[in-house]
Amino acid sequence: MTATQIAFFVLAVASTASAIGVIAFKNAVYSALSLILTLLFLAMFYLQLGAMFIAIVQILIYAGAIMVLFLFVVTMLAPEAGGTEEQDRMPWQRIVGSVLGLTLVGALSYLIFTGTIASGTKADPANSLSAMVAKQGDIQAFGLALFHGFLFPFEVTSLLIVVAILGALIFGRRA
Amino acid sequence: MPLSAYLIMSAILFTIGSIGVLARRNPLIIFMSIELMLNAVNLAFVAFSSFLDSADGQMFVFIVLTVAAAEVVVGLAIIVSIFRTRRNIDVDEMNVLRG
Repeated sequence: MTATQIAFFVLAVASTASAIGVIAFKNAVYSALSLILTLLFLAMFYLQLGAMFIAIVQILIYAGAIMVLFLFVVTMLAPEAGGTEEQDRMPWQRIVGSVLGLTLVGALSYLIFTGTIASGTKADPANSLSAMVAKQGDIQAFGLALFHGFLFPFEVTSLLIVVAILGALIFGRRA
Repeated sequence: MPLSAYLIMSAILFTIGSIGVLARRNPLIIFMSIELMLNAVNLAFVAFSSFLDSADGQMFVFIVLTVAAAEVVVGLAIIVSIFRTRRNIDVDEMNVLRG
């Protein structure tokens, strides 16, 4: 067992446990904190895969900005909304959801293990990322790929952010 | 670690998120489960980016991250405005279209 494999298994168990914590806690604040923990474990997965910029952006943006926004709303709404989970009108809903979820993970695992999904994945030596990283460094390689191939989507996402801000402003006005 | 290990991890996280969407009634927790599903897909993208030796997967993750941020902003604004009018956010009670 190399150090990479040990790290992967520890991260896998920890992120699965915190993900189950997201859906299992009755208190919504505990769910939000579990989700922050899951996002941090996923950032460590990205580091293990060599995606340095994505790992840092995950911690800064996802765990640092999006989840803080979630926690604002959860702490504003949680006391009023937490009491309604007791009167469960469809108690079979949880069981059916879990059975369907287990079917989903079983089907996906079967497809992954029989090689349907991951077969034929060969690296294309033309725009090789590892060559660019070796020549220029991690962040420079990411920046070159972003601004050489993905410039138009990058500009469109700025438009998307403006639309999201306008939507939040409109929903936030006093009716 | 082989590629299938990361894909299995992504499948497990995606399934946990989908169980959360199906089995919970608090829309904030449903929203958090949707974010968990998005992160599982991000993990699959980054794993493919690493194993195909291409930066395209990381580019997709960057775009998905931005879209998720915008979606969280608008979705939480909708939930807060529903709470303002009805004082109750249980999704089982949201069965009429007019406020």
